[in-house]
Amino acid sequence: MEREQDLTDYRDRLLNAVKAGARRSACGTSDSIQVFVNQRRVGLLDGKGVEATLQVQTDVRIDSVQLRSEDGVLLGGLSAPEYGFRTSRIPLMRDTIELRVQNYAQGGSVSAISIPAPSFFHRVRRGLVGVADSAAPRPVTFAGSGMRAIAFAQVLLAVALVGLVADRTTGWMTPAHPPLSVTQTEAPWAAPLAEVMKLEQQLVELSRMQAKAVDTIQTQQQGMAQLQRTMAKLSSTQETVASSVLTVKQEMEQRRKGAGRDADRMTRVLMSKAQSEQEQLEAEIHSLTVANDQLSRERAQLEQSNLELKKRLKSTGMEVSKATVPDREKPVVAQQSEPASPPQMAEARTVPQQPPFLFWVTFSEGTNQDSIDQWVHDMHGRKGALSEGWQAVEIVPPTEPMERFLDQIKQTKIVKAVRISR
Amino acid sequence: MTPTGIRYISSREQTMQDRTGALGRLEQVVSTPEEFERVVSQALPILLERATNSTKRFLRETGQWCDDVAHEKFALRWGAEYLEQFFIAGRSEVPCRPLFLLDAVVAKQHSRPEPFCYHPDLLTPLGRLIDGLVSRAAISRDALIALYYHCFGLGPGQVITVLGLTGPAGQRIYKNFKRWRDSGWQRTMDDMGITECEVQDLCSQLQRHPQPSNSEAERIIRIAQSHYRKSEPDHYPCLSRRQWEEMFLEGYGSDYRIWHLALCLDCFTAAWDLGFRGAAAIEKPRVEFHVRP
Repeated sequence: MEREQDLTDYRDRLLNAVKAGARRSACGTSDSIQVFVNQRRVGLLDGKGVEATLQVQTDVRIDSVQLRSEDGVLLGGLSAPEYGFRTSRIPLMRDTIELRVQNYAQGGSVSAISIPAPSFFHRVRRGLVGVADSAAPRPVTFAGSGMRAIAFAQVLLAVALVGLVADRTTGWMTPAHPPLSVTQTEAPWAAPLAEVMKLEQQLVELSRMQAKAVDTIQTQQQGMAQLQRTMAKLSSTQETVASSVLTVKQEMEQRRKGAGRDADRMTRVLMSKAQSEQEQLEAEIHSLTVANDQLSRERAQLEQSNLELKKRLKSTGMEVSKATVPDREKPVVAQQSEPASPPQMAEARTVPQQPPFLFWVTFSEGTNQDSIDQWVHDMHGRKGALSEGWQAVEIVPPTEPMERFLDQIKQTKIVKAVRISR
Repeated sequence: MTPTGIRYISSREQTMQDRTGALGRLEQVVSTPEEFERVVSQALPILLERATNSTKRFLRETGQWCDDVAHEKFALRWGAEYLEQFFIAGRSEVPCRPLFLLDAVVAKQHSRPEPFCYHPDLLTPLGRLIDGLVSRAAISRDALIALYYHCFGLGPGQVITVLGLTGPAGQRIYKNFKRWRDSGWQRTMDDMGITECEVQDLCSQLQRHPQPSNSEAERIIRIAQSHYRKSEPDHYPCLSRRQWEEMFLEGYGSDYRIWHLALCLDCFTAAWDLGFRGAAAIEKPRVEFHVRP
């Protein structure tokens, strides 16, 4: 229950925050506006009563543009189109932000212009200049103001007519008529005719004046429109220059950073390369040192064994020389006894005679007897019995391991198969 | 059936009828921004529920859902965030059908690689507080400057010194601090659904066990920073101490310093004493988390 209440309170608080919208912001009119593109902060609009522009170009497509106050409240935004441009005017507390977003085939651009609200004196001055001045830039309002001027002239004309008619009426209603030169019967017709003529003349005069006034107003409006166009052109040129300066500044900064970053990257690469080379060199030196130590040890051992061999040779030589003298003195005895033999020979003789090694082979199809004999001869062996296609062969026991020996036999061209058991 | 029961059922039926009617209106085409604003304003609770349910579904489908208050609040918070964005940007999308436009806005957000910073540790009271502060810092300069206080206990003067700021930039720091203390912090707590009771608990926990609490805070701050630092422009990467030194000496990139150092503990530690310009620097900073502003 408590959980539900907690969640309900939280939901209500969030809803109130969404409803309150930009009113939640505690920022004043002089504070900057943060501009976010695709939810990334890209810059500030720091107008402070003057027009400020922020232009951003991105490599990626723009999805959204948001304006936030310094305390993070979402003030306004714009959802960018898939392709093409979209503009929006977002009125804030005093100023108005004009957002213009454009997406190209690759990337997009955003332009945010802060248009400050006109000051009091500015508004008064504009009011004094008149209706035409305030409406001149727009053709629609231009036409409207012309119409208003014509209507004003027509109202003026109507008022004049009413005044004249009233004047006439009061003249008729007056009991003391001025003396007339015409007769009583002619009087009611003669006087209005003269007045009508006069009235017509006045009307013609008035319409001429009206036409003149309209001409003057139109000339003035044309002049104002031209002035406005010139002003607009001038301001757009100024804006272009300002944006170019900004772009150049950004590019310069990016290049500076880019150059610094490149140099750093290059340095890092070189450093890491040098470090790895140094490590490799150290490893090689270490292995060389180890090999050198091993060589020294082997050399010492060899010298030691060399010395021993020399000693043994010397002692053998002395024994041989000692043995030679009695042989010459007693040749007959020497022939009867066993001859003195070197130790190695004695050892060889003591080795018992090993039995021959027997194995069986089958030969490939079409192998003739001569080839088989030649092969047996090359093996220093001899042929045994032939049983079920298997030829027994006896050889001196091989010194290499059995598997390797059998592999060697198998690799022989004429041998088809080999086995060592029956 | 009792009269109360009948009243309850009839009010429920009425609510259902209202809801169906509102949904019907939201499915129809609105042609002007004013109409959009009117129709959406009348149906904000329905739209919040829809955005929240979409977020819940996303969390369930990605195996990040758990049926507790923290997760419910997380889904509500993001639902409200999407709703606000939809409410603002939708005016430029007319003619449209508001209900489907909201679905499209939410789906677009959820199709991004990391639509929001989800981590189980960010759903504890301390985690939610830090998540709120850092996420707010990504969109609010006030919160960003306040991070120096909440993480390291630096006042405005110290922040100006540490960041090597001069002129009007320094004045703005004081303004940021003031606004944060006046309203920013409380609004962040409200937006995160952190109650006064939870704030008090956190304060007492930090007071009783400062060392482990600060270590835990540092760990969570790193998690949150690594996500929200992506809100910075692409050209604000981490720099080496030498590069920071160059920037401080030449005096450029004050915005870079303010934004990046607040959102990167490692760079802040590396560039800590550069703002002192040879004066006796204080010892290396450690995270000393402050709950209240």
